[in-house]
Amino acid sequence: MDGDDQYLVARAVSAQDTAAFGELIRRHQSQIRNFLRKLTGDISFADDLAQDCFLHAWNKLQTFTGRGSFVGWLLKIAYTTFLQSKRKSKRYSEVLDSAGHAAVIEGRSYTNPKDEVHDLGKMLAVLTEEERAIMVMSYACGLSHREIGEATGQPVGTIKSMIYRGKEKIRTNFDIEDHKHG
Amino acid sequence: MTSKIINMVDRAKDAEDRLLESIFAAEPIADDGFSNRIVRRIRRQIWIRRLALPTAMLVGGVIAIKPALHLVTAGSRLLSAVPPELLTTPAGWVPQLPVMLLGGALLVIGMLGTRMID
Repeated sequence: MDGDDQYLVARAVSAQDTAAFGELIRRHQSQIRNFLRKLTGDISFADDLAQDCFLHAWNKLQTFTGRGSFVGWLLKIAYTTFLQSKRKSKRYSEVLDSAGHAAVIEGRSYTNPKDEVHDLGKMLAVLTEEERAIMVMSYACGLSHREIGEATGQPVGTIKSMIYRGKEKIRTNFDIEDHKHG
Repeated sequence: MTSKIINMVDRAKDAEDRLLESIFAAEPIADDGFSNRIVRRIRRQIWIRRLALPTAMLVGGVIAIKPALHLVTAGSRLLSAVPPELLTTPAGWVPQLPVMLLGGALLVIGMLGTRMID
């Protein structure tokens, strides 16, 4: 099925075309699932959240105005779904606790071996949840600061300072300087 | 023009940003039936919504049929107690009453039918 995202959204909304929405899912599932996997650190939990995210997206599809990118709008829903599930789910706090412990035990006490920087999970664990979401949106999903602001409901200035803080934490805890040139 | 803007943005990013981008970059995740599972769930959801009203009407009808029959029986008993000249008068006052009642019933059925199709 051809057509850009907005055309597919229009078809899905006007004719309740589930095939058009299926095409939208196929196009963006990888990015949404990657985002949630990095955010939660748990593959199956992230995939459950991604399913909920797309179901929410279907139910609120008529609210997509087409001003920003469709994937930005989906990431906003994914982030909201993640925050809502976190409030409800005990499982998430268990996952987060174990990730946090791993970071404390392994990450911060490391003497910065060169290949450590590639362990993204440990790197993300030193960030707060909000910083993690923003860093992932910025560096993994390629969203602009304005798009991240729309997705998280924060002003652009706050996004910039959170990215700065996140980078600072990563710099402090991991040896990323060495990797700049090699 | 667009490529110029992209180059400027790219230059504005420092080496650290590019490094972080490479660290955060992930392999694309294969769909493996993920989208089909969601589409199936959505279709099921649509069907459930469509069936909800007729099912509720059916269940409500089944529950209400016994009391409705009692009501009709009680009504007919009550009517038998009323003098016959009183019963014939309303039809005489409004000669189109049966047509109006039929029209009203058809209107209600039509509205419910439209809603179900919708």
